[in-house]
Amino acid sequence: MNFLSLLAVEWKKLRRSRILLILGTATVMLWIPSVLNADLNFGMQAEGISPEHNFLIQGFMGMAWFMFPASMVVGTVLLAQTERTNHGILRMLALPISAGKLCLAKYMILLGLAAIQVLMMTGMYYISAAIASQMQDYEFLLPPLFVLAQAGKLYVSSLPMIAFFWMLSVCIQTPIFSVGIGLASIVPSVLMINTKAWFLYPMDYPFYVITAEYGKLASNLSEAEIELLPWIVAAAAFTGICLAVSCMCFGRNERK
Amino acid sequence: MGIALEYKKIKRTGIIPGCLAGGFLAALIPVLELAVRSEQYTGLMQPPLRTIFQADWQMMSMLNMLIVITAACMMYHTEYADNAIQRIITLPMREEAVYFLKALLLSGMCLGFLAMEMLSVSVCILHWFGGEGGAFSAYYGASFPEAYLELIQDLLWNLGYCFCMLLPVVFLSLLIASACKNMWISLGVDVVCVFMATMIPVKYFALAIFPFALPFQISEGAGTGQTAGFLAAGIIEVLVIGAAEILFLRVRRSLA
Repeated sequence: MNFLSLLAVEWKKLRRSRILLILGTATVMLWIPSVLNADLNFGMQAEGISPEHNFLIQGFMGMAWFMFPASMVVGTVLLAQTERTNHGILRMLALPISAGKLCLAKYMILLGLAAIQVLMMTGMYYISAAIASQMQDYEFLLPPLFVLAQAGKLYVSSLPMIAFFWMLSVCIQTPIFSVGIGLASIVPSVLMINTKAWFLYPMDYPFYVITAEYGKLASNLSEAEIELLPWIVAAAAFTGICLAVSCMCFGRNERK
Repeated sequence: MGIALEYKKIKRTGIIPGCLAGGFLAALIPVLELAVRSEQYTGLMQPPLRTIFQADWQMMSMLNMLIVITAACMMYHTEYADNAIQRIITLPMREEAVYFLKALLLSGMCLGFLAMEMLSVSVCILHWFGGEGGAFSAYYGASFPEAYLELIQDLLWNLGYCFCMLLPVVFLSLLIASACKNMWISLGVDVVCVFMATMIPVKYFALAIFPFALPFQISEGAGTGQTAGFLAAGIIEVLVIGAAEILFLRVRRSLA
């Protein structure tokens, strides 16, 4: 079985999981307060950010700080539990496919879910920005290329984090610990983005990137320049280690 | 039959060590915060409890909530995972009894980790605010037993208040967990609710009594009227959610 058909099989398993409904609800919930409080965006001139930029970035920050990471934890639960109930995973492991390949395919599916959620968020942004523009009589819509670039940065910077969550769910068999550690690791990211060692903590990457964008757009705030050099190395190493460990651990408990 | 049985069910799921570990993490927050930035807080001339609560309770209550929702999801996951719930339903006992026993058990664990957090808060107060001319002696007085007794009284009151604010989350997350067969759906719904709660502006009482927003409330620095209002809201919510669960189980049973 080649990798693509493996991906197709894994994707099919999620068909009746209603995960997209949850991911979608999260993005809708994200923008409702922004639309209702759209007039607050005009009070941000002190930071030197334009109302339409503020509208976008505040929403994205809300997403990057809690909802997006937490949704990914839910995604890992979904991927792990659909197959553990009724021992579907045993049948998968009995097939002549390498376990590592299977593990990577599932990680890719998780990345797919992440991409879908980011796209949903962007779509909802346009809907809510249009509504806010109508309500406030002010143009909140930003050019699609700019918005997609922000969403893309959020997505790419979240890859190490997702790899970490995936490793947790593969290596730790008791769901309470994998979910608990995953969710608990989101909370300190507020503290970590303010430290010098932020690049050592992958869970804060998306939040850090969006906060840095905020600093760039707000002319009166001190600009937090992202230093690419230690970050890219740390992120790549972290992703590699997490994926390697999860590929090695995948199916180990079932084979015993 | 009873709470001992419910305890036996979760004995090997790791919920109790998970709760303890989560409580320990939350208890570490004020210690770390004061260890790193003590000069920012020790100079404040207000009750030391208020200083700590205002600085750290946001994050601590977030962690508490995440512990509760993960534990609630797990508690029902053990029932649903291998269709154990079907055996429970056929037993000569009320189905809602299981729910209330689980709620009782989970609230007991909440008391446990809240007590840990209060202990750490008291240690922080005595260590960082207890010196000569510190906020502790300024507020509680210098006389030996009375000052400490007063501090203990304050801590107990806060423990009770935080516990009452956390109870609606216990009940609602168990209700959600009992309604959904799949763990990722209940976890996803809970996570979306927590996320919504973080975005609710505090100035509206009607919005702030959303069950998942209640744990963010602190009694320190709030007026008596407000405190009483939130307490009443918490108790009413617990009753309403309990009634809703009974109704839900009856309806589901008659439709099944």
